[in-house]
Amino acid sequence: MLPDTPENLMQIIGIYKAYAVPMDFYWRDLLYIAEQVFLDPVPFFKYFLPQEYLDLPNHYAGDTADFRVWQKGEASAHPELLEFMAKGEVNRKLPKLLHHLWHDRINMEFAEECMRAMLWHQGMGGQFYDYLESGEYIANADRAIKAYFKRNPLMLGLYKLFPNMFYEKVRELSYYANLGLFWEVMAPVFFEMSDLYDAGEFKSVPDAMDFLVNGIFIAAGRPIYHHAYIDGECYEIIPKSKGFTWLYEAALPYVEAVFYRTSPFRGTKSYNAQAGQVPDEQKDFHYGILYADVFPVGTAGIPPTLLMQDMLHFLPPYLTEYYQQYCRGEDDILIQLGITFQRSMYNVTSAVIQALRTALLYPLDDPNPKHRWANRRFFEAQMDRFKRPEARLRNVQSQDYR
Amino acid sequence: MLSLLLWLPLIGAIALLLAPPQWSVVRLRNIAGVLTLLVFLLSCYLLSQFDLGNGGWQFQEYHAWAQPIGLSYSLAVDGLSLPLLVMGNLLTLIAIYTITGAPHETTAGALRDRPRLYYSLILLVNAGVTGALSAQNLLLFVLFYELELIPFYLLISIWGGPKRSYAAIKFLLYTAVSGLFVLAAFLGITFLSQSTSFDYGLLTTDGLELKVRLILLTMLLIGFGIKIPLVPLHTWMPDAYVEASPATAILLGGILAKLGTYGLIRFGLQLFPDTWTLIGPGLAAIGTISVLYGALSAIAQKDIKRMVAYSSIGHMGYMLVAAAAGTRLSILGAVAQMISHGLILALLFFLVGIVERKAGTRDLDVLNGLMNPIRGLPLTSALLIAAGMASAGIPGLVGFVAEFMVFQGSFTTFPLPILVCIFASGLTAVYFVILLNRTCFGKLDNAIAYYPTVLLSERWPALALAAIILFLGVQPQWLVRWIQPTTNALAAQFPTVLADQFATQQPTLAPDLPPAMAHR
Repeated sequence: MLPDTPENLMQIIGIYKAYAVPMDFYWRDLLYIAEQVFLDPVPFFKYFLPQEYLDLPNHYAGDTADFRVWQKGEASAHPELLEFMAKGEVNRKLPKLLHHLWHDRINMEFAEECMRAMLWHQGMGGQFYDYLESGEYIANADRAIKAYFKRNPLMLGLYKLFPNMFYEKVRELSYYANLGLFWEVMAPVFFEMSDLYDAGEFKSVPDAMDFLVNGIFIAAGRPIYHHAYIDGECYEIIPKSKGFTWLYEAALPYVEAVFYRTSPFRGTKSYNAQAGQVPDEQKDFHYGILYADVFPVGTAGIPPTLLMQDMLHFLPPYLTEYYQQYCRGEDDILIQLGITFQRSMYNVTSAVIQALRTALLYPLDDPNPKHRWANRRFFEAQMDRFKRPEARLRNVQSQDYR
Repeated sequence: MLSLLLWLPLIGAIALLLAPPQWSVVRLRNIAGVLTLLVFLLSCYLLSQFDLGNGGWQFQEYHAWAQPIGLSYSLAVDGLSLPLLVMGNLLTLIAIYTITGAPHETTAGALRDRPRLYYSLILLVNAGVTGALSAQNLLLFVLFYELELIPFYLLISIWGGPKRSYAAIKFLLYTAVSGLFVLAAFLGITFLSQSTSFDYGLLTTDGLELKVRLILLTMLLIGFGIKIPLVPLHTWMPDAYVEASPATAILLGGILAKLGTYGLIRFGLQLFPDTWTLIGPGLAAIGTISVLYGALSAIAQKDIKRMVAYSSIGHMGYMLVAAAAGTRLSILGAVAQMISHGLILALLFFLVGIVERKAGTRDLDVLNGLMNPIRGLPLTSALLIAAGMASAGIPGLVGFVAEFMVFQGSFTTFPLPILVCIFASGLTAVYFVILLNRTCFGKLDNAIAYYPTVLLSERWPALALAAIILFLGVQPQWLVRWIQPTTNALAAQFPTVLADQFATQQPTLAPDLPPAMAHR
């Protein structure tokens, strides 16, 4: 979907790198919340990542990798991330709490918003959500909840009174784990793409897309699970043995929920549901990054704004230089990089559509006309979603959209 | 001292014309700016030297010039002209630093085209206004009054918008006729009162018949009415304001139009006090019609500059109603309204200029979402809102002070017109809400919103004007203290009516309190 120009390639690779660094924090913290913070009723310190989670080896980088996607990288947290966490935007070593309160930190709120979109939207394929409603899951959750609150009679009493509220919170935590495991893969993929680009190995936008498609298939079978660690003991809320896999239970629902659907951003615009401004069906929601209007960035607490703020801290120098030449340079760099991000996500979506076709349908050069017809129907159905009036595809394809 | 204020810009204008052609625009602008700043500071010095206990002429200068025709070089200022003169100098300074030229030009807001002529013409305008405001000889006044036409005609027809030649010719024709009427009235006053000199202090209309006085006053009213402008003599004005560059519009609306109101009070009200009370109700009616017409027309506009131009007609109407009422407070209000209107109009035109330059359009239907903090013009929009509030008479800003004095001072004399005026000031809020709602609020259009940044050098004049508008709004005595002695003396001239004026019941106001506040 993204035109093949050197400028586009430079933009999307640069932004992948800037995205991957905060993502390296997101996935670690998401897993930390799902596994360790768990049901803490006052999770004030949930964004304060302990050292062990910063050192947590990524399964796709470093010497211990299952499959080493990021060739040159370490498995622990990215050095730029560690430096930013220590000094922040103010570039001074201050107590963590001050950085946190000053909002000079990685904005985990964005990651949580993505998680919530995945939790909230259903019927996006896969078995994961259905499992969360099963008796087996409830039993697992029940054990974990009772273990977690065994010294807290108040919470146990509440659990007796409102068990479903607690199950719902655990379901949310399962999605924390789901998204964390998804992004654990994507961060090294993006780092590697940046390294390859710097080494001159990417020549075109389709090269980047092909790399993404390959990356998707490398990780397609990795298990999606939810383990909680309570008093040093592991409670398998969703055991690996259930056989949930990365592509169907994490990647595709993520793309559907976050790229396409999400929810109307609160604060930028009032939507009048009674006047039909919000679709009746959740599947018709189109508020994701592929449709987002990036211009009002900074006007209210829109989640992508937080992501753009995060990416701003890790832009490669060539991208910063590029932004300075256009529009208002430094002053509207958040919007410019937001639009670049939108471009890059169109590239990712192209890769996802290709991957879906590979997984579910037929090769592009299949001689069977019925197969080709099925392929065609699939692509047409995909394209229809970009023919909506709010779609940004036309904008993104124009180089002047900044 | 007054001569210095008069000659400094004149010499500056000539010097700029003779400047070497290779001098850059920015340098020329800075020369003009520094010179105007000097003149402005000198005029502020005059303010500090002004004797607040004396409502009459001060800083007088007299040189016989052409005695046989009764022309003398005679300058002086009083509480009516000095504040206007200071404001004129301030607005000239603002105009010099106003963005001019086509959108997206790169020379930091200055223009490329014939800059030497441009800045020297602005200085010439300044000299002309200073001359007219301080002239003590009717012929000298006419001389400066007419002198204004040339630079303004050139400013509109060279640096104006697409319909500039039409607007410039229309402006020239109307204001030349205005000059003719004024000249004819002055000749009439002098010859019929058997005077050999045009010196202001020597003239009186007491000996003339009522019919003659009425005719002469009507001629003055038409002459100055064109300049102000009053409905139905206003048709040149929207075209001229809209086609003129923002700087020229500031000079036109902020300074030139004030010559009309100044002339009306100085030569109408002050020379014909008896006749003035006679035609007062008629004037009030004209003023009220202007107010209503201006407000209603402004509501109908799609072009924000034209909207501001029509709002100007409305606000000048208040001034006429107040002057017609002729009470202490209302005349004070009229003069305060001139100052307040000049400042607010200048700010509005300045901001509209920025919007036009950056967004490339003034169309209400196209502009949207300028409040957007990153891609819009947030500070410009914020100041536009402040200017709109000031113009609509929101308390705490200078527009409220002036309008309040106008309303309170004139209410007992002309209750019905004032009620209509108060209603119309509500309409002011209507069109400003339309303007702000369409331009500043709403959603920025992604397809066109690649506006360049507003530089600091393009912002400070607006910030300065906004600061003054706010300051005079909360400290109104700084506005009225220089005006009050003179307007009190003017009101005392009125022999008739209004004896039991609400506003004049306390003959000795504390001089440092604004009357509006003192009467609470």
